[in-house]
Amino acid sequence: MIEVNQLTKRYGGFTAVNGISFRAVRGVTGFLGPNGAGKTTTMRMLTGYLPPTDGNATVAGYDVFKQSIKARQHVGYLPESVPLYRDMTAIGYLMYIAEIRGVKHRRERAETILARVGLANRANSQIRTLSKGMRQRVGLASALIHDPEVLILDEPTIGLDPIQVLELRDLVRELGERHTVLFSTHILSEAEQVCDDVIIINHGSIVAQGAPAALRGELERGGRVLVRADVAIEQLLPVVREISGIGSVEISLNGVIATPSTTDDPRPQIASAIVNRGWRLLELRPVAVNLEEIFLELTRQGNKDAEAAEVAE
Amino acid sequence: MTDMPLGTLPTEAQVEERAVEIGGAMPFIAVFKREFKQYFRSPIAYGVAFALFLFLGIYFNGFVSQVNGQMPADTTLIPSIITFLMFLFAPLLTMRLIAEETREGTLETLMTLPMSEWQFIVGKFLAVWAYYTVLLVISLIYVAIMSMIGTPDYGATIGAYFGAWLYGGAVLAIAMIFSALTEDQIVAAFLGAATILVLYLSNTAASALSAQSPVLANIVRELGLTAHYDATMAAGILRLEDVLYFVFVMIAALFITTRIVEIRRWRS
Repeated sequence: MIEVNQLTKRYGGFTAVNGISFRAVRGVTGFLGPNGAGKTTTMRMLTGYLPPTDGNATVAGYDVFKQSIKARQHVGYLPESVPLYRDMTAIGYLMYIAEIRGVKHRRERAETILARVGLANRANSQIRTLSKGMRQRVGLASALIHDPEVLILDEPTIGLDPIQVLELRDLVRELGERHTVLFSTHILSEAEQVCDDVIIINHGSIVAQGAPAALRGELERGGRVLVRADVAIEQLLPVVREISGIGSVEISLNGVIATPSTTDDPRPQIASAIVNRGWRLLELRPVAVNLEEIFLELTRQGNKDAEAAEVAE
Repeated sequence: MTDMPLGTLPTEAQVEERAVEIGGAMPFIAVFKREFKQYFRSPIAYGVAFALFLFLGIYFNGFVSQVNGQMPADTTLIPSIITFLMFLFAPLLTMRLIAEETREGTLETLMTLPMSEWQFIVGKFLAVWAYYTVLLVISLIYVAIMSMIGTPDYGATIGAYFGAWLYGGAVLAIAMIFSALTEDQIVAAFLGAATILVLYLSNTAASALSAQSPVLANIVRELGLTAHYDATMAAGILRLEDVLYFVFVMIAALFITTRIVEIRRWRS
């Protein structure tokens, strides 16, 4: 479990992370935000690499700063750049990390974990000869070597080809069943697919938090609907516009998108209005809001607030 | 060979995972073992060994042909030359130690393992000191040759070698500071060599100063490396204060290196 309480990191006058608080339990928690939002800084504080300026965090019940060594025993960390010793073999590297961590039966453990990430056949290859995706897996294996309670992965899918990305996502999802995984990404669809819980961070602050489905539901409620019927859009448009409770309409490629002015679901009224005219309804569905839109909406809001604050100063 | 196709990753059930046993971690020994092995794969380390023994061989040859039968077999000669050459070789041996970890980013991984900076630095230092010890032991071959053609003073030999061992540890620790200070190995080596040379030449500086200020001259001399080696240990005179001087320099330099690594991390 990860518990973060008012965690803050300042560099001189610049605040990289601004009093964030969250809890992550078993499963995959996505840490989502644009580049420079403070994701890596937060992760570095959680792994004991950086001391926080203010606030505190516990990992597996140990304070990451005051009981740093204890906390680190329960964390596996994969930095974004996946630093490895290129002149070592995959198994050699894992055994080295295992030895520093005091893992017993090192060779056996390293072989097990290499098999776990699908690299058993490359155990004796020098890391320099491995592809980017394989190196990522060696890095992941080294973070898992001591079977940690908490796994922190900083943008692990960056620079991988699409197939490697899918494989890694599957692996992360599986790891979420046994470990508390904190997984950062700036790719929204990825967070949606992999994570049980998403924390959206921008300019060092949390702007939204919740299950991906819940975040989406929040914006979909009373949201826009797409209407298609077997008549020309020019005919359909005024009819939909006149339905009470519809705030605005716009033409999309294959139909009309209606935005309601109230929180009531406008679909029954739209349906009857069309059927009453003898037209046939082809499609009537909520316009899916993906995390992308939520994210843009939230971060735009945040940026506006930040700008307003700057102007005010 | 390409990556495995999609869907071939074994699942948790397929790979039997035994409970991981953890305990009795000795991180500095792990670091020491890796680094020490690294010296036997490093072209620079072989280059240093080659240059050192080439120099020693030529010098020894000249010395033997010159003094044969006229002077006593001076076995302190070889350790004295080694200590002088260390101003150049120590930085070459240490420049990689921390600079490379910083540049490659592996320091970030290591510093998130349950290992203190101190353990990390001590492990690295012991590795380079051990490599230096190997070189020193190989150079005993000259002592063996001298003992065949003459009768060396073994007391002096032991004193000089013990001194050279401590001296080497001290200058290696000093040179290591600069590997922590910069990511650039060349800069690290250059700054290390300059610093050691200054400490080596402090005797000369002290002589120049002695006319103006004998007190200052004494301080400069005592701070330097030569006063604690060339004048005493190299002649087989073992003084506690000289031993303490080298031990103190080592610990101080390692402490400074630890602090630098810590501060650089906190600022990153």
